[in-house]
Amino acid sequence: MAKTFHLEIIATDRVFYQGECEHLVITAIDGLLGIMAGHEPLVTALPDGELKYMVDGKWHYAAISEGFIQVMPDNSVILADTCELPEEIDIKRAEEDRQRAQEKLRQKQSIQEYYQTQAALNRAMNRLKISQKHFK
Amino acid sequence: MANMREIRERIDSIKQILKITNAMYLISSSKLKKARKALDATEPYFYKLQETIESVMEHTPHMRQMYFDRRLDIPPEKRKKGYIVITADKGLCGSYNHNILKFTENELAKSPDISNCYLFVLGHVGRMYFTSRLKNSSKPFVDGEFLYTTQNPTLYRAMEIAKLVLDKFENRELDEVYVIYTDMVTSNVQEERMIQLLPFSRRHFGKAPDGTMKKLPKASFLPSPEEVMAHLIPDYAKGIIYGAMVEAFCCEQQSRMTAMDSATTSAKDMIKQLSLLYNRARQSAITQEITEVVSGASSLE
Repeated sequence: MAKTFHLEIIATDRVFYQGECEHLVITAIDGLLGIMAGHEPLVTALPDGELKYMVDGKWHYAAISEGFIQVMPDNSVILADTCELPEEIDIKRAEEDRQRAQEKLRQKQSIQEYYQTQAALNRAMNRLKISQKHFK
Repeated sequence: MANMREIRERIDSIKQILKITNAMYLISSSKLKKARKALDATEPYFYKLQETIESVMEHTPHMRQMYFDRRLDIPPEKRKKGYIVITADKGLCGSYNHNILKFTENELAKSPDISNCYLFVLGHVGRMYFTSRLKNSSKPFVDGEFLYTTQNPTLYRAMEIAKLVLDKFENRELDEVYVIYTDMVTSNVQEERMIQLLPFSRRHFGKAPDGTMKKLPKASFLPSPEEVMAHLIPDYAKGIIYGAMVEAFCCEQQSRMTAMDSATTSAKDMIKQLSLLYNRARQSAITQEITEVVSGASSLE
């Protein structure tokens, strides 16, 4: 068995995962990032994206929205707005969110509103992608 | 002794009020259940966020970043301070509103020039209080367009508020930003708290209850400390505001429930006392009547 490190994934509405983990792959703001036990101390921000972590040789997947990660050699903490398993994602709702955001982007909006809509669109697309990839 | 009809009316009106307070008690206790659940779900995040940021700060090299700028060139009397104050939308919740307003008042009194204070008040009661405040000529500025409710806090609302204050901070419309809210220590103990949101400093982090500090070498930041902080701080602000909103909402429901419970109890007590009085009045009236009849009859003999 591979060396493990303690991983905590905490979303605003629940503690998503807390326990040992062998390998963690996340999307950071500048690309994918793989973390294993003994990683150098690191802090980075996370955009909406995919997250996967290996426990007992098995990969687990999740959709994560904005947050950040703090990596220490023996433990890592991920704090995010939301974190969902692929099977928890409501495809219909995500699809609706996507359509609504796309519809809104066609309207004239202030810059701020535009960014907000874009963020909403990103979130919806990310959820759809992950749900389609891992759960059918 | 008061007359019977008066007491009767009094009892009836108390009964009416009892119905209202009892209904409000039931409503707030069911709302409290919901708020408690949200609080239990959010509390790990709220504390972990403060703890993690604190530990991140310890590993952060010195840097120049917009949100860290303490603006020392601005003298204390000219600093524009922003306060996000979380109050309730309605009254009838004991001393909850009163406490938070008094706490805010104290904080305002500490600043050298009160007209340089900007208030962002969540909740109707606080908004009304500060807009109509006429203690002396200098008043804090209350943002009239800042209309957010405190009912059922959502992350989206927290995001909007965070964005608003961060924008104001970036545009130098505010030099310091604080969040004032009520913290639920235990279900019976509530405490008003103030958290400094901006400028971001290494020192102001209160320790989480289970906060453990470790000394470790400087961490690396990807792609760069400045870039990471530009993402991390808005996220932190949002998290703190959301956490504070959840805590405050739960406190509000808790204090409303307690207040309504004690109102119901004292209404019941009053009814008890009044019915005793009523019965006495009734009895003495009957006794008097009998005495009159008897004495009337005996005078005829």
